[in-house]
This record gives sequence, C-alpha cells and structure tokens, in this order.
Amino acid sequence: MRGKKLAVLLLLGFGLLKLPMERAVSARLNQAELLSPFASLELRENLDQTAFAAVLGGLRSLVASVTYMRAYIAFEDGFWAEVDRLYALTTRLQPRNVAYWDEAAWQMAFNAASHYLHDKGTREYTRGALYQQYIDRGIEILREGLRYNPDSPRLWGALGDIYARRKREPLPAAEAYLKAEADGGPAYYQRLAAYQLLQAPDRESWVKAYELLRATYDAGKKFPSVIDGLHELERRLKIPPDQRIPEKASEKKAPSVGPMAP
Amino acid sequence: MKNKAPAPQPARGGHLSRILTLAGATVTQLLRMRILVFLLVVCVLMVAFGFGFPVSSPEQKLKLLKDATFGTLQIFSLVLAVAATALLLPRDVEDRTLYTILSKPVPRVDYLLGKYLGVIFLIGAGLIILDVVLSGLVYFQQQALLQGTEAMLRSEGAPEDEILQQLAQVQRVGLTWSMHAATWAIFLKAAVVTALALLISSFASSTLFTMVSTFLVCVLGQGQELIREYLFHGSFSVTMEKVVALLLAIALPDLRLFDIVDNVIAGQSVTWGAMASITGAALLYVVGYLVVAQVVFSEKEL
Amino acid sequence: MSEAAAVEVENLTKVFRLGVMRSAFVAVRDLSLRVQPGEVYGLIGPNGSGKSTTMKVILGLLEPDQGTSRIFGSSSLRVESRREVGFLPENPYFYKHLTGRETLHFYGRLCGLRGSELREREQEMLALTRLEDAAERRVAGYSKGMLQRLGLAQALIHQPRLVVLDEPTAGVDPEGSRMIRDLILSFKERGLTVLVTSHLLEQMQEVCDRVGIMARGRMVKEGPLEELIAVENQTEMVLENATPELLAEVRVAVARHAGASIVRSGHPRTTLERLFLENTVENTAAASSEPHEE
Ligand SMILES: Nc1ncnc2c1ncn2[C@@H]1O[C@H](COP(=O)(O)OP(=O)(O)OP(=O)(O)O)[C@@H](O)[C@H]1O
Ligand SMILES: [Mg+2]
Repeated sequence: MRGKKLAVLLLLGFGLLKLPMERAVSARLNQAELLSPFASLELRENLDQTAFAAVLGGLRSLVASVTYMRAYIAFEDGFWAEVDRLYALTTRLQPRNVAYWDEAAWQMAFNAASHYLHDKGTREYTRGALYQQYIDRGIEILREGLRYNPDSPRLWGALGDIYARRKREPLPAAEAYLKAEADGGPAYYQRLAAYQLLQAPDRESWVKAYELLRATYDAGKKFPSVIDGLHELERRLKIPPDQRIPEKASEKKAPSVGPMAP
Repeated sequence: MKNKAPAPQPARGGHLSRILTLAGATVTQLLRMRILVFLLVVCVLMVAFGFGFPVSSPEQKLKLLKDATFGTLQIFSLVLAVAATALLLPRDVEDRTLYTILSKPVPRVDYLLGKYLGVIFLIGAGLIILDVVLSGLVYFQQQALLQGTEAMLRSEGAPEDEILQQLAQVQRVGLTWSMHAATWAIFLKAAVVTALALLISSFASSTLFTMVSTFLVCVLGQGQELIREYLFHGSFSVTMEKVVALLLAIALPDLRLFDIVDNVIAGQSVTWGAMASITGAALLYVVGYLVVAQVVFSEKEL
Repeated sequence: MSEAAAVEVENLTKVFRLGVMRSAFVAVRDLSLRVQPGEVYGLIGPNGSGKSTTMKVILGLLEPDQGTSRIFGSSSLRVESRREVGFLPENPYFYKHLTGRETLHFYGRLCGLRGSELREREQEMLALTRLEDAAERRVAGYSKGMLQRLGLAQALIHQPRLVVLDEPTAGVDPEGSRMIRDLILSFKERGLTVLVTSHLLEQMQEVCDRVGIMARGRMVKEGPLEELIAVENQTEMVLENATPELLAEVRVAVARHAGASIVRSGHPRTTLERLFLENTVENTAAASSEPHEE
C-alpha cells in the first residue's frame, strides 16, 4: 500500500519533470526536420482506420509507400482521378518528400494531360480543355509542394519543365529554372533558363540569356547548344565583333543540354 | 552437531553477475520460444514486399525497400518489447517460478533489471541483425541505381561535376549513417516501451492484462500530441475527461519523439545533437519507469 | 550455545486482501515459532491452515502484517537472510525451456557459485535426486515428481544451513518419498536445520525433533515430538533385565492402589496422526460445528 502510493507520487513527479524535456527535444527534432508534422484533420478523414493507426504508430513512411503503390497501379490502369487522389494522399502523408510531389505533378501534367489529348473517346473540344486542366493541376501540385519545400531545386526544376514544355511560357519557366539553380540544383538549370529566355519576345530577357550563356561558356562548358545560343544572341543584341566568341569553336558532336529529371 | 556447517560465507557474486545470470536465462528462454524464427519469416516477407511491387523509378524502389524493412524493424522491436516482457514477468508469478528465484539471495531489483536487460539485449541483437541485412539490401539497390544514373548521364554527355552532383543526390537517399541513427531511435523507443511494460507487469497479475494495457499505453503514448491538442484547445473548462487527459499526458511517454525514421528515409540527416537528445530522453523515461516499477515490485505479494 | 535461532517467528499475522472489495482474510494469526539450529521442525495442519503462508513470510516472499520473522538472527525482509537458506516451495515450477541441468546451473549462479565448483554441485545434486537420466531434457517435459526432485536439488545446490521444504514428498513415488526421508535424516546428522511441512504424518513422526500443529491460521499445539506424543496421564517405565517375578510384584503393587492400572506393556505412545486429528478436527469442529473428515 505504502509502495503503491509512493509509486503514484513518483510517477506524477517524474511526469511533471519530463514535460519540459519533451518540449525541448520535440522542438529540437522539429527544427532538424526529423519529426513529421502531426496527422492533420484532413489526413485523418482520408485514411482508413488501419492506415491511420499505422501512421500514429510511426509507420507513416510505410503507409505513404502503400498509397504510392496504389497510385502507381491506378496510373497503369489509367484511372486518372484515382491517381490524383492517391498521390494527394501520399504527398500529404509525407509532404517533405519532394520525389512524391515531383512525380504527382509529372503524372498530371504529362501523363494524364497527354492521355486526354490523344483520347479518341472524347470530343475534340473537351480534349483540349482536359489537357489544359491536367497541366494546371500539375502546376498546382508543385506550388503546394513548394510551400512545404520552398528551396527544393527538384520541384522548381519540375515547375520549369511544365512551363517550358507544356504551357510554353518561357518567362515563368526561366524564373523557375533560375530558382532551381540558385537553391543548389545542378548547373544545367542555368542553361535551361537561358534557352527559355532566348525564346521570350523582349530584349531584356535576351540580355539576361546572353549573360547566363556567356558565363557558362567562360566557365569552359562550350557545348554546341551554348555556342549556337550565343551566336543567335550576339546577332540579336548586336554585340560588337571583338566581344563575340570565335566561330566554330566546338569539337564535340551535338550533345543534348543535359539530363532531364522525369 | 557433528559436522558444523560452514561459517557464513562472504557475499559472493555481485549484483552485476546476478543480473547477467537472470538476463541470460531470459534470453535463452525467448530464443527457445523461437522468437528469432518468427523474426526471420517476417523479415523475408517484408523484403519480398519491398522488392516485388511495381514502381516507376529506382528511387521509389529504394524508398519502398527502406520503408518495408524499417517497418519490420519497428514492428519487431515493439512486439518483442510488449510480448516478451508481458510473457516473462507475469508468467513467472503465474508459474510460481518467482518463488524459487526470490528465495535465493536475489534482491528484487536485480530480478527486475535482469529481465529488463534480457529483453533489451534480445531486441538490440535482433535490430543489429536486421540493420545489417537492411543495409546490405539498400546498398545493393543503391549501387544499381547509381550505375544506372551514371550510365544515363554519361550517354547524354553531361559534364563531370554535374554527374557527381547527381550521384551525390542519389547517395543522399541511399545508405547513410543516419539510417543507423534511425535504427538506434527505434531501439530507444523499444527500450522505453519495455520499461513501461515492466512497470505495468509489476502490478498486473496476468499476462493478458499486461499485454493489453501495455499496447493501450503505447497507442496513447504515440498519440500524446492528440491528447495535448485535446487539453489545450477548445474550452478551458475543467471536466473529468480533461483531468484524465492531463494525467495521461503527465504519466505517459511521448513515443513520437523517437519517430525520426520517416524523415531519415526521405534523406534527412541526423545530427549528433539530435541523437544525444533522443538518447537522453529515452534514458530519462527508462530510469523513471524502472524506478517506479521497482517501488511497486519491491512490495509485491507473491 | 548462544547462537541465534535458525528460524524465529514472533507474533506473525498475515492478512490477505481479496477481490475488488479488499475484504480481509486472516491466513495466519499471531503465530510464533522457533527452530533451533540442527533441529528438524515439522509444521503440520489441514489444508489452508497457513503453513505455506508462514513459510513464504519466513523466506521474505510475503511481508508480515504484524510480527517479525528472522533467519539466523537476520530479518526475513533483508536479502542477506536468504544467503544460507534453501527453499522448496509447494508444487515448484521452473523455466520450462531450460533443461534440468541448466536449471540447476541458473540457480547455482544466482547463489554465487561459479565454474567447476558449480558443475560439480550440479552433478552431485542430479545424482542425489536421481535426475541424472533426465538432466538434459527440458523441464517442460518433467513429471510432477521429477519437478519436485528438481526443486529439492535447486534448494540444496548452494549447501544451505537451513532447508525449508514445503511438502517435499507431494507427488513423489514411494521410493522417492523414502529417499527424501533419508535425506532429511542425513541433514540432521550433518547438523543442518530443517523446517518441513507434509501430510505424510508417519514420515514426519520418523524425522521430526519438534512439531507445530496449525489450524485456521493459529498454532494449536507445539513442542518436542517426544513430549507431544507422550500420553500425559500415563507413565512409562523402562526396565532392564526385569525378571518375571519382579514384573509380578509390580503388578501386585499397582493393583493395591485404587484407580491405577497397567494398560499394557510396551511403548505407550499415540501416533502423530492421532494427535493431529485430535487437535485439528476438534478445533475446526468447534468453529464450524460441522463434522469434519480429516
Ligand atoms: N496469495 C493469496 N491470496 C489470498 N489468499 C491466500 C493467498 N495465499 C494463501 N491464501 C489463503 O491463505 C490460507 C492459507 O493458505 P496456505 O497456502 O498457507 O495453506 P497451507 O496450510 O499451506 O495448506 P495446504 O496444506 O493445502 O498446502 C488459505 O485459506 C488460502 O486460501
Ligand atoms: Mg501449503
């Protein structure tokens, strides 16, 4: 009896002691981005009970993998609405995993959009509308992902890709590529931004493109596409001949600009 | 008296050797209950799961593999922590094995620590084995992924520094030291749960009760955030539920502090500082719960 | 000898609180007993009379509600008091995944034995309890009597000065039962102290120096066996080389006194069993007024 009372007192005393410790450790781990944000209400509503229990039990990553696989299977079957829903669930489970955002956006803006563009079963007018709608959905997904991962070069790069290759809007594409490069992404994003700026209608963009390509060239990366771009800009901007790069400096045979993520 | 019994011997065998003897018996017992076979089966299943599903990119494949194996690690350690502890202590009471043990010159605290260390040792050993297997698998997958990426980049004629940059990116989600740190965190969580299970079994009288209540406590510990949310949001009125919630928040550990593995899988790296703070937290929990367990157990009627 | 008593229980009361209502049940009430070093003390009594409970208090497995218990002068609440005690609980059970030998090894180590000394003791104990053939088998497969023998072996592994045996012969075959009786007699020879309970009263009568009879948690009769089973209103005379004439004279002398008579010649003893029944049945009958079959 004495012992039981003592035990309860000890437990409570110790419990009061541990509360500040828990707060400190939790703050520290959150700061190091080692703890996942707690399951939001929205997430709780979208997961079935087992999955929610697993998330609570610290198996969040595994649950995300499962929803991801289901999304992938839905993709193989071409159920696009389901693909969207499951990817949304996956990204919400692990919002800091950029690969999920990237792939979710790619599924929408590239695969789903293309699917509807070539879908014989849909009327011509609707096809175009759905095409645009899914591309916009891709952009929306990336913008949401960027809210959780504002400095992710991969997401900025993916956003640049959609603007460049699907929307054909050079200015936002270049902006996204530049952000990707600035946030520590591969150097080729700089080149990609320059090619986009090259396609813009205004002179100001060309100046910027010229600066970027010239810097790449001066850094020793004398790819044919860089040289071709520079020649084009030198003409457009009427650069004095003595400041131009020499003609035919390239030895390599037309390699592409660099690897593309998706 | 014809043959006078030997004079009282000086104390032989310290606490440590007794504790180790008890821990050793615990480990033997658990091993002979075929716990490792069970572990092996689960392991194979999970790895098969990790390899045998469709995924778009090798990167996702790597993540899935890690999810599956780390999931195994977590489930294994928690099941063992709850089941082994619940099976051991109340069983000893039920079977009256405790009579013969405690009628030897064995302080009750030695018995408790022996049991604790035995279970912890087994969990630790299991986790080390699983960690090695997991590391091997991930390394294997990662090499394949690296080679694939490198070959692709070279065929596209990407410059050397960019190739290295990309490969470093892959390595970040591959085999890292942080993965072992995550295993350590899983171990710490299991150590805390074991201490809790021991505390519960020190006053419980049946295996089933211990298991069910430890499981419940784990769920609540995992949902501490939910409890706090309930406590501090909404109305500030004092209700019975709120008092209960407050007591739970005070008495139970916040098990989510140890759930760093998700983010480690995603490529987050664990600093020494973070390691130190979760280790410290675990230590505090374990010492706290063991002290309470000893207080209860020391006056337990057998 | 000014040595402390091997076991000294004073005014022990043990109350169990049962169920949700915590209703009290007094298992042992105001019990005192002393076991001198070198003595074999038998505790007897009907089922549920509190014998095992008393033993558990002596071993420190239960805490007394009132009174004290000491072993060789050291309180039963202290771990040190158990250093020189070997205890065989009733229906002992062991880790069923260990073999008999491993079980002995385990208990030996708990007592601080090590290495070759421990191995020798294991072998000795297995031989003593005739468990050698089963030594490498898991305890899970042991029969009741084998468990009892193993329990005895583990109680003796560290050569204790005091042996506490709770029904050592329960479930043991007649041969084993005789073996245990002989063992207790050999303890007595070697100067060990034994506290034992049993329902085999004939055996108890053979081995005990002193007995205590318990009923309903109380000590109802206690003393040296010889005195207890002596018939008080009778006198025994042991004559040596008595001729028939002398015996005839004695008879005549007795006949001269009104009221006195010679009942029989021989050993004027009752059995421990009769004594037991007289004391315990009377006692329970007085309390519950229903006829009792013991
Ligand atoms: N742990 C316990 N909780 C509640 N009651 C108990 C407990 N242990 C013993 N008792 C009760 O105390 C009384 C004495 O029990 P004890 O085991 O000491 O009897 P005993 O004399 O050894 O009997 P037996 O000859 O059957 O072994 C019994 O009525 C029993 O029901
Ligand atoms: Mg008994």
